[in-house]
Amino acid sequence: MEHENDFEQLFKEWQETTKKLMDRFPERKETFQTSSSIEIERLYLPEQLDSTYMEKLGLPAQFPYTRGIQPTMYRARHWTMRQYAGFGSAEETNKRFRYLLDQGQTGLSVAFDLPTQIGYDSDHSMSKGEVGKVGVAIDSLEDMEALLKGIPLDKVSTSMTINAPASVLLAMYIVVAEKQGISPDKISGTIQNDILKEYIARGTYIFPPKPSMRLITDIFAYCAENVPRWNTISISGYHIREAGATAAQELAFTIANGKAYVEAALEAGLDIDQFAPRLAFFFNAHNEFFEEIAKFRAARRMWAKIMKETYDAKNPKSWQLRFHTQTGGSTLTAQQPDNNIVRVTVQALSAILGGTQSLHTNSRDEALALPTEESARIALRTQQILANESGVADTVDPLAGSYFVEALTDELEKEAHRYLDKIKELGGAVSAVEQGYMQREIHHTAYETQKAIEKGDQIVVGMNAYQLDDEPKPELHRLDPELSANQVRKLSKVRSKRDQQRASAQLERLRRAAQGSENLIPHIVECVRTYCTIGEICGVLREEFGEYTGI
Amino acid sequence: MKKKIRVLIAKPGLDGHDRGALIISQALRDYGMEVIYTGLRQTPEQIVASAIQEDVDAIGLSCLSGAHNELFPEIVKGLKAQGAGDIIVIGGGVIPWEDIPFLEEQGIKKIFTPGTPSIETAKYIEKVVCQRDGISLENPVDLIEKVDHIGIAVQSLDESLPFYLDILQLKLVGIEEVASESVKVAFIDARNVKLELLEPISQSSPVHAFLEKRGSGIHHVAFGVGNIQERIDEIKKKGIQMIHDAPKPGAGGASIAFMHPKSTNGVLYELCEKPSKERL
Repeated sequence: MEHENDFEQLFKEWQETTKKLMDRFPERKETFQTSSSIEIERLYLPEQLDSTYMEKLGLPAQFPYTRGIQPTMYRARHWTMRQYAGFGSAEETNKRFRYLLDQGQTGLSVAFDLPTQIGYDSDHSMSKGEVGKVGVAIDSLEDMEALLKGIPLDKVSTSMTINAPASVLLAMYIVVAEKQGISPDKISGTIQNDILKEYIARGTYIFPPKPSMRLITDIFAYCAENVPRWNTISISGYHIREAGATAAQELAFTIANGKAYVEAALEAGLDIDQFAPRLAFFFNAHNEFFEEIAKFRAARRMWAKIMKETYDAKNPKSWQLRFHTQTGGSTLTAQQPDNNIVRVTVQALSAILGGTQSLHTNSRDEALALPTEESARIALRTQQILANESGVADTVDPLAGSYFVEALTDELEKEAHRYLDKIKELGGAVSAVEQGYMQREIHHTAYETQKAIEKGDQIVVGMNAYQLDDEPKPELHRLDPELSANQVRKLSKVRSKRDQQRASAQLERLRRAAQGSENLIPHIVECVRTYCTIGEICGVLREEFGEYTGI
Repeated sequence: MKKKIRVLIAKPGLDGHDRGALIISQALRDYGMEVIYTGLRQTPEQIVASAIQEDVDAIGLSCLSGAHNELFPEIVKGLKAQGAGDIIVIGGGVIPWEDIPFLEEQGIKKIFTPGTPSIETAKYIEKVVCQRDGISLENPVDLIEKVDHIGIAVQSLDESLPFYLDILQLKLVGIEEVASESVKVAFIDARNVKLELLEPISQSSPVHAFLEKRGSGIHHVAFGVGNIQERIDEIKKKGIQMIHDAPKPGAGGASIAFMHPKSTNGVLYELCEKPSKERL
């Protein structure tokens, strides 16, 4: 009984700190009401707070964060609507960015083309056919300047899907900001920088695991000191899920990778509370509505416990799992593409009910090509409708206490721990990846799913059921066929314009640093500043570190 | 002997999405083919070299990055230049429909779009490889798909039907006359198989002769088949005597043909092909 009083006391304290916080960050409205004038409370709780509730769910913004990481959640501010975009040239993508910002998008998310993601210049023989295709082509600082032209980097946060060469793109961003007169401590954003899931599922690796992990921990250390508002990694389950994993596998493998980064940073001598608050996560919002919600809630609880209990982090910010969500690309069908709008809506809703910090909603035509402007707009509108019309953002963690959702949350956590135990047995995530363990598990699930779909046991509307005989052919986004040649011309101009001697000298300094053990990021920043290209910088590192060739 | 088909599954370009490539590799293996998967980031030259070195019949290219128009034709060109133009090249991935005619013009035999069942891809490869090599497809489909129905000779439908409908509580599918056999038939749905009650409507009906000789009872068993003429030819090739060498119209719009009981240990078997919409 005395416990209960303690809990009531805790709740009172929570109310007081929340009130104080609201002075600084007020809620969107004075009061929230339903259509029937029923007042919607900030937080709904069981009638009696007991120890089981407090241990498993707790209060929002308190350990173990099952109910979310902010006390008022979306009552204060909606999630960041962050649509992933990028194609063709930097100038073209800059136009799309400005369009999206004009349309009410609240953050940027850059898609790079594959040569950029794999550290090749646009004129490299491996880049043939790929320049500007899946994202924007960036060869040198000049392209980055064009990409971010007229965008106030102290006001807009930018997420960059870049992994193996994350340090190079971050360096470019820092230098562009400086040229805008904005110091590195004022910029904010995220680099994906998650190499382990590249080996597992996404494929844009360059270097072997060991030097890759060094680059990552160098970034952690550099940003902690110089770019404190930057999320230094976005530990990604998204692509693991896209490759075919189940919700439990996505959860487990992502957390296993997260642990590997923490351990690498600790080994490199960093202090946990110095880098852990800047770790971010990235999950998939897939079809199965309640399981997805449970997955997000379980992820928060698991990470909080691991950070506090296993790694002894003291700063509550180190315990909080913040995440971005994207709806599941592999759930989209090429058949009857407008149906995808409905799939995306349901998936987006699960991310919101799961308490995401930012969200990308896929466009209906992504199984066919890059999205058209109209499709991209509908995808953004989907989020805006959910935020402004559905009322789901008006109370914190609305599904807490649902028998079903809580049971699923517990079960997913248990199942994920079984995988974590197995990965520990294999020597941790890096070693498990090198042995191909996660890859095999995911492929097995993917193949079983495919068989179930082909047998008709799993229905995909419009594809293996309710088909149309005559599919209309939608208008698709086309890329400029001259793009690659133009990009190559621009690149050779940059090379002839720059101070070649300085550029070569910087590259040599980087080489010597790579041979030793000092932090590489300051050298990469200097290389970028002298207009060394991404291919040259990664080329030096390729020579020093070698290349990963898969297993 | 059945030809073991060898296929190279390849990922040209820089695209790292290999869920599709891995699934198709395993599906083709499960279908009985030998499959070599190249792994990621293969240049057209590397793919051509692997295909020749591995002596494959076909190459399956997977690309989701939009580089297909540049990369796929390079591979066809490379094969031709090396004198390996007989290797069949197919492709899949995120390929806009507008690009398919161009790719086919460039010598890519077929593009499979998202949602294609893997069995279709496997059968397609088998078909084109066998066509190229002049091999007839050995048992590409099941000779017999299922038991379609059991034929039962009765003196009178009116007298027999109440047993099935009232006592066994099965459903009547329909009654019709089949002129070619001079019978009136009633189809009864017995869940996994149908029962066909046959009442002769003239003395010339073979069912009349059957009743005279043996009385009411089981008359024949009908196997469901596809492509009935091909099946008749195959069965004849194996030394089985057919009563009908060419299909004739049966009940429900089906095409039917009987095997001679002399060849089948005394059982009268029918081959029966349903009109295509019903078979799906």
